[in-house]
Amino acid sequence: MRYPEQFDVLVIGGGHAGTEAAAAAARMGARTLLLTQNIETIGQMSCNPAIGGIGKSHLVAEIDALDGVMARATDQAGIHFRVLNSSKGPAVRAVRAQADRALYKNAVRKILEHQENLSIFQQSVVDLLVEGNRVVGCKTQMDLDFYASSVVLTTGTFLDGKIHIGHEQQPGGRAGDAPSSALAKRLRALPFRVGRLKTGTPPRIDGRSVDFSKLEKQPGDEPRPVMSSMGQRHDHPTQTSCHITYTNEVTHEIIRDNLSRSAMYSGAIEGVGPRYCPSIEDKVVRFAEKTQHQIFIEPEGLTTTELYPNGISTSLPFDVQMAFVRSMRGFEQAHISRPGYAIEYDYFDPRDLTYSLQTKALEGLFFAGQINGTTGYEEAGAQGLLAGINAARKVQGQTFWEPRRDEAYIGVLVDDLINLGTTEPYRMFTSRAEFRLRLRQDNADQRLTPLGVEMGVVGPARRRFYEQKMHELAALKKDFAGNCIMPGSELDQKLSLDLRKETTLLDALRRPEVTVETVAGALGVDESNEHAVTVLRQLEIETKYAGYIKRQDDEIAKIRRHEAMQIPAQLDYLSIDGLSNELRQKLDQQRPASLARAARIPGMTPAALSILLIHAKKTAAL
Amino acid sequence: MIAAVDQDLICAIATPPGQGGIGVVRLSGPGAKELAETLCAKPMQPRKAVYCEFNHQNERLDDGIALWFPQPHSFTGEEVVEFQGHGGPVVQQRLLTALCAQGARLARPGEFSERAFHNGKLDLAQAEGIADLIASTSVAAARAALNTLKGKFSARVNELIATLTGLRVQLEAAIDFPDEDIEILEQAGVVEKLRALAGQLQQTLATADQGRLLNNGIQVALIGSPNVGKSSLLNALVGEDAAIVTDIPGTTRDLLKIDLLIDGLPIRLVDTAGIRTSDDKVEQQGVARAKAQITEVDLLLLVTTAPDLQLPLVQNLVNEVENHAKEQELLPPKILIVVNKVDLVDRPVQVQPYANVAVSALTGQGLDELRSAIQKQVGFGQDNAEFTARTRHIEALKAAAEQILKAQKGIEQGLAAELVAEELTHAQHHLGSITGELTADDLLGKIFSEFCIGK
Repeated sequence: MRYPEQFDVLVIGGGHAGTEAAAAAARMGARTLLLTQNIETIGQMSCNPAIGGIGKSHLVAEIDALDGVMARATDQAGIHFRVLNSSKGPAVRAVRAQADRALYKNAVRKILEHQENLSIFQQSVVDLLVEGNRVVGCKTQMDLDFYASSVVLTTGTFLDGKIHIGHEQQPGGRAGDAPSSALAKRLRALPFRVGRLKTGTPPRIDGRSVDFSKLEKQPGDEPRPVMSSMGQRHDHPTQTSCHITYTNEVTHEIIRDNLSRSAMYSGAIEGVGPRYCPSIEDKVVRFAEKTQHQIFIEPEGLTTTELYPNGISTSLPFDVQMAFVRSMRGFEQAHISRPGYAIEYDYFDPRDLTYSLQTKALEGLFFAGQINGTTGYEEAGAQGLLAGINAARKVQGQTFWEPRRDEAYIGVLVDDLINLGTTEPYRMFTSRAEFRLRLRQDNADQRLTPLGVEMGVVGPARRRFYEQKMHELAALKKDFAGNCIMPGSELDQKLSLDLRKETTLLDALRRPEVTVETVAGALGVDESNEHAVTVLRQLEIETKYAGYIKRQDDEIAKIRRHEAMQIPAQLDYLSIDGLSNELRQKLDQQRPASLARAARIPGMTPAALSILLIHAKKTAAL
Repeated sequence: MIAAVDQDLICAIATPPGQGGIGVVRLSGPGAKELAETLCAKPMQPRKAVYCEFNHQNERLDDGIALWFPQPHSFTGEEVVEFQGHGGPVVQQRLLTALCAQGARLARPGEFSERAFHNGKLDLAQAEGIADLIASTSVAAARAALNTLKGKFSARVNELIATLTGLRVQLEAAIDFPDEDIEILEQAGVVEKLRALAGQLQQTLATADQGRLLNNGIQVALIGSPNVGKSSLLNALVGEDAAIVTDIPGTTRDLLKIDLLIDGLPIRLVDTAGIRTSDDKVEQQGVARAKAQITEVDLLLLVTTAPDLQLPLVQNLVNEVENHAKEQELLPPKILIVVNKVDLVDRPVQVQPYANVAVSALTGQGLDELRSAIQKQVGFGQDNAEFTARTRHIEALKAAAEQILKAQKGIEQGLAAELVAEELTHAQHHLGSITGELTADDLLGKIFSEFCIGK
């Protein structure tokens, strides 16, 4: 049966990518339908109950700057907030929140259900409707055909998902949920390169069986940060603590003795797991010299006693899981409420995508999230947002939004994926961003909100909030520039400047020893006024980092010039003399659209780039 | 660190290398005129020759004519200034160094032509030619980079890169994985390591200084069995009787060093004792010193004679030299086989596959070929690629040293880790420009293999 209503955008999947995609498309005015296997699991946190962290909270801030869901939901659901890297500089400073799973899910669902232009439908999708090289809709389990101009596929780990516990295997998209095997089979028939990846979860533990007196307690930070730029502390629910314990030699011995029973070590798993999130088996084997590993115990929520012991993800059989868990301090009597498992799933080689996240093979089809080989809610959400925006822009006849590496972590993420592909689940780190000094969490709104307003993805409330902030920042800057401090004056003394000649407050702010705290103290700014402190901090960072940003601006100007230098699609790379064979092959395969993109190909040299440019110009002139 | 078609101010020697009446250094890009006016302390006139002194840091480098071509009416289509001074590598290199110190950078091979092409000064038919030129010269330059720099030097640059990468791994791991028990900067000895790295860099710079090469000349040693005519060759090249020549084998006991110019290239020619087993204590000493020269010079002239020429013997000699260098854990110098006394035979001399020249010190036959072969072997060829490469490396090292210093000071002054990391990234870019790769190396991969990251 053909569903009577025609949609602009279909989003398949209700995880973190799917919800951002659906909400973004709907905010832009596209008639959007979110299709999910199960409405109850919309916004489900399938892995650990935390949002943010280094590199990741940067993505969340960018989603937030474009009026997305994740940061807002986190402020509704966060039960423990910390600032990471507070002393290492504003660009790598990050916020991480523990979320109450139930509250988070509710917050996401509430946002979606209140979103204009957005409908939700519960039904498993089994096929895509294709006409020529264009996707026009999808078919569900009960033979219901939905038609739309754009389709965003966000299937997470559900494509042919297979769960491993020891030597036992069963199909599954997440413990307790069925995989999408029919769709996987169908997609494998389409011209996409498919690979397998693996990820894992630890056994969950019932808090009632844990001796907390033996654990290190880690409370949240005070003053407590917020995730959304519009968030406020009083949005947050009751706060709670995390805990820390450690593995020990006994734990390691139990694991070593049972390695042959691990799904990973018996060869049952073909998918590649992430190096930065190894299973406990991996850690014990690869870092055999370490006598202990830290385990970070995260609360699952305020109303549940379940705990998420982060750092012991495993595919060992259940009896071994029990034994090694109980070998740890504080866990001697621990009751496992859900066994840990490894999960293997299909992903599509992201090199088959364009910068808009539309697939190269099928027009109108967008991929976002783990399907592209990434891991993490934040990475998924960021891609979902981008895919949702572009799905809507396609319907509206607009050119795609393709954020650059120097504009946003989203740009870094997509650029890395579609140029380099990935061999392990891709996670964001600040060291992936060569322009990270610019890509800060604190200026995500300045980088993206105006653009979001222009694209129509940012609503009026955020727009006003942003304009207000910019207004205050400009006023404060003017104020500081006009505030001349005389040597020996009260302000000179309060800021311990030891001035020899008259200096403006703005110039004084350039000095490393003059910080937000000292200035706030000297000027009598109320430090509990979150907003005032935020604006002051913004001014401080901009002032202190001006020199570094200028240097990066010069680099970026060069790259932009290269971006402007388009390479004709018909360029015959294989016949270019003077390039190494390897480079010719890589270029032929990737067919970069501009010189800037060619420059990102590993092995590229300045000379090769010059040669390429000459041939590009020549081909274009023919 | 992308390079193609940027708007940097670039400079290079435009006239053929060597000692000539006039040498032209060309400067192209925005700001060329201002830089020229600083250097000449005189206002430039469009397309008018201005006679002036070229001064840098109150030191007179040369005097000559500066010619300003405003954009777009120039060879490259950009603002161009030509400095027409005296020919000669020392003078011209010093002028280049002065320009680089004031914001210009050395042009890559073919870069002037490349810019001319992009600015529509050359037609499409010429494009392929330029691409070929870049391809061949860049390969030559890359090889030159590795070859001309002595083994010791390139090994040291690689060491520097490895040390720097190690530091960055430490720093980036601490930034991206604060939850892991990765030691923070102080504990990990980053400060001490940085200091050590800065020291190493300075040392490398000192030994690799281009000035040393140009002022002291390229070191060339004559090596071979006794009485093959090494000293006669030296005299023939110098044009005077600098070395005592007899037909008694073993006449030269100590090292004899003579400085000479070959077409403008300053060369320090070292005559050595013939290598043989001798009971004479003084001669033994001489032989030892001759051997020591093997790893100290840029080029070895392995001298043999045409009447006694046997390929296996030549091979033995080459092997001996290479083994000697290997024992010292150094790369062997370049080798040029010089077959002397070619006037005594009437068959052609064959020493393939080695680079070789047949000469007669007695009749002067083949001496011109020997001179140009020496130039070619040390990379002082027509395209100047090796020299430019070498100079560029020194510039890269200096820039890296500056960044390291900033990082070092930054840590002492409590600069944020992300800013220290930024300085180190730039330092690595500069060192990496020696190898020419644009993409960053796999820092994350190194982090994952060194630290147990995992949550």
